[in-house]
Amino acid sequence: MSELAVAPAADPRAERRARRAVARSAGRERRVVGIIGLLLLLVGTGTALLAFGVFGNGRAHRPVLDPIIVDALRANALLARIVALVVCVVLVVAGLVWAVRALAPERRPDLALDAGPDTSVVVTSSAVAEAVAGQARTLPGISRARARMVGDEREPALRLTVWLAEDADVAEVCRRIPDEVLAAATDAFGGRVLPVAVRIEADTAEGPRVR
Amino acid sequence: MRVFVRILAPLLGLALAAVGVLGIVEIVTAWIQPDRGGDGLIVPWRAWQRVLDTQLWATTPVKITAIVVAVVGLLLIVAALTARRHDVPLRPPAPHVTVTTSPQALARMVGRRVRAADAVAGASVTASRRAVSVRAEGWEGTVTPPASDSPETSPATAGSSDIAQPGETPRLADTVRADVESLLDDLPLATRPRVAVSVRALGGPR
Repeated sequence: MSELAVAPAADPRAERRARRAVARSAGRERRVVGIIGLLLLLVGTGTALLAFGVFGNGRAHRPVLDPIIVDALRANALLARIVALVVCVVLVVAGLVWAVRALAPERRPDLALDAGPDTSVVVTSSAVAEAVAGQARTLPGISRARARMVGDEREPALRLTVWLAEDADVAEVCRRIPDEVLAAATDAFGGRVLPVAVRIEADTAEGPRVR
Repeated sequence: MRVFVRILAPLLGLALAAVGVLGIVEIVTAWIQPDRGGDGLIVPWRAWQRVLDTQLWATTPVKITAIVVAVVGLLLIVAALTARRHDVPLRPPAPHVTVTTSPQALARMVGRRVRAADAVAGASVTASRRAVSVRAEGWEGTVTPPASDSPETSPATAGSSDIAQPGETPRLADTVRADVESLLDDLPLATRPRVAVSVRALGGPR
């Protein structure tokens, strides 16, 4: 069993995994967009500085496709072609990897329980999610609840989104979720404690206004 | 902005891959068919080459293109930096549990509480983890805010400010503020946001 039934007093790893489970990370996408933006900014700024003569008027009045560079490439045509091909292959691979990772759906790992040396018990992610969400819906003040497993098989976590009714006591709901919903789930899943990210939303159904 | 970045990232990846494929096709074609006449197989790179042979760095199209590229790059950087989550954290009830809510949900809770008052006809609320701003309109003079929650006695309200509006009725503003502070007292927020209240007094019958 990778984790104990009793919740650790302060496990930094569990806290970090719970924070990560709040929402799907956009960090990779932000890095890709930021790196491409930085490259464009550097190229554009450098070109503008060159064009406005910051590096000398002589350079600014040379052709964009400089004959010196063209002659050098023609003199080493084989090397130039190989380098260009490698660059293009890197672009294809990197671009496809980025696109596939950005478009891939978020993983829903199943929960493997420790049932002894010769036995393997796996609870599917949908079963975990349905059990936790169903338990959450029984709490007063929660009108809707949705749960899903996130992370990977090695480090699974749970994301629980609850919609509060208008008259809900938020503090009470926050207190009862770990005590009742998550404790019941822990018991049901063989004592395994999962890092949990709870997302609280206000239900959109508006009640009658007091006048 | 987060959605924009999520959409843009795969598109940029596909664009890079497309550029790579075109490059490979043109390089291989030029390599195995060096005597091939005309232009490139897909990309008219020979025509581009002729243009770039005569185009100087100091010409206007090059300057404009450079500035446009730099601005696009800057916009992409800004998009990447501002695509953060804007969650409102709540105090975690257990070490392995993180609780958050959205600014919209917080604003909705505050709005419900404010609109429930007799004297308030309507209210709009914006919220973040640092500040809650309420603009309310209503009638002056029926509800007295609780003394314990009044801005003068509650240390939690220190630093918050009412925005003076023409026709502002202080008692209505105090009522609204007390409602908001009361709700924030009830919510287990990790950091207490500043509260700004502005009100517009309505005339005539309710």
